[in-house]
Amino acid sequence: MTRLSTIFTSTSRSKRWLVVILALHLSLLSSSAQGFLKLERDTVPFFRGFAVSADLVGLAQMQLGDYGQYEAALRVNLHDQYFPILEVGVGRANHEDDEVTGITYKTSAPYFRLGVDFNIMKNKHAPNRIYAGLRYGYTSYKVDISRQTFPDPVWKWDTSYGVTDEQCSQHWAELVFGVDAKIAGPLHLGWTARYRNRLSHNDGQMGNTWYVPGYGIQDSSTLGVTFNVIIDI
Amino acid sequence: MRYFCLSAFLLFLAACSTIDCPVQNKVAVNYAVKTIVGGVEVNDTLKDTLYVWSTRSDGDDTLIFNSGIDISSFSLPVSYTHPEDKLVFCLVDTNKVAKIDTVWIKKEDIPHFESVDCSAHFFHTLTAVRSTHEAIDTIFINNPKVNYDPSLDHIHIHFKK
Repeated sequence: MTRLSTIFTSTSRSKRWLVVILALHLSLLSSSAQGFLKLERDTVPFFRGFAVSADLVGLAQMQLGDYGQYEAALRVNLHDQYFPILEVGVGRANHEDDEVTGITYKTSAPYFRLGVDFNIMKNKHAPNRIYAGLRYGYTSYKVDISRQTFPDPVWKWDTSYGVTDEQCSQHWAELVFGVDAKIAGPLHLGWTARYRNRLSHNDGQMGNTWYVPGYGIQDSSTLGVTFNVIIDI
Repeated sequence: MRYFCLSAFLLFLAACSTIDCPVQNKVAVNYAVKTIVGGVEVNDTLKDTLYVWSTRSDGDDTLIFNSGIDISSFSLPVSYTHPEDKLVFCLVDTNKVAKIDTVWIKKEDIPHFESVDCSAHFFHTLTAVRSTHEAIDTIFINNPKVNYDPSLDHIHIHFKK
């Protein structure tokens, strides 16, 4: 099976460029990132409040395509330096009767990500922030995969194909790079770019799944983006 | 900063999509022609000409392997979901004399999914194989897992000398 995983076609040039762009960003920020884990000593209180946010990219995917997620997050501000964050959402896919393969894929399940962001700006208390962070994500989901009855290519018997309520799960980790810009009052806008890596996964008896709630498309969602509307509370 | 956020969002919307389907996506049962030399099973080469037929659901015969000669292995298709495949092996020697055997292969069928962009396939687990013995001496399962891997020898077949 190792051999099988290497025999894949892929057009991933755009992904490679995104990795290069992220690497350049990180290298430019490295000077200001030095010592970002060290708590600054000043008169600003340690606990600075909460922020809630909603992701517009997942929402747009859901409205414009046949998969996506509704996602919100709660972030704690510790001294404008550390930002523990909980992201929760519901991911859905409803890909019906693919025009080429005829396959239908459906899933709907909650997911969560838990992690922390670090403000790597030199001036930690500035209204705008640049983040680097980590996430751990998990989802347990059920998939329906089916195809209308089709003839066996040699023997011509009618063939049914699919599973219903197949139980699957996935653990994954994410490296996060993000920007948060203050717009007015408590309102911020920001985006994050993420590199994802599956830690473990149970794809059920059919060998693979397609859309995984909170993660995206298997094998092609190692890079992702969120665009967040953030409100300080 | 606002323009930066907006440009990042637009960059995301313009991103490309990918399709990752296996290039090697043929699921077939691989037969290895073997013989016994000195008590050890070794590779053999078929000198006679091999044809294999099966019967389709409408009752018509279909030729699934044509004119195999000087071969030491061959691949035959496997039905998607029929519990037992029935194949007719016809071996024609150099004197144009034909010997016919029937081979029955029992299996379990496992639907396999790669992506909505990839066509539906089935993997199989061979559970039993038997045959008549006009030309076939011995036939047995060597590796029961039938999937995309073309390197596996699923069935070893010994022909009478």
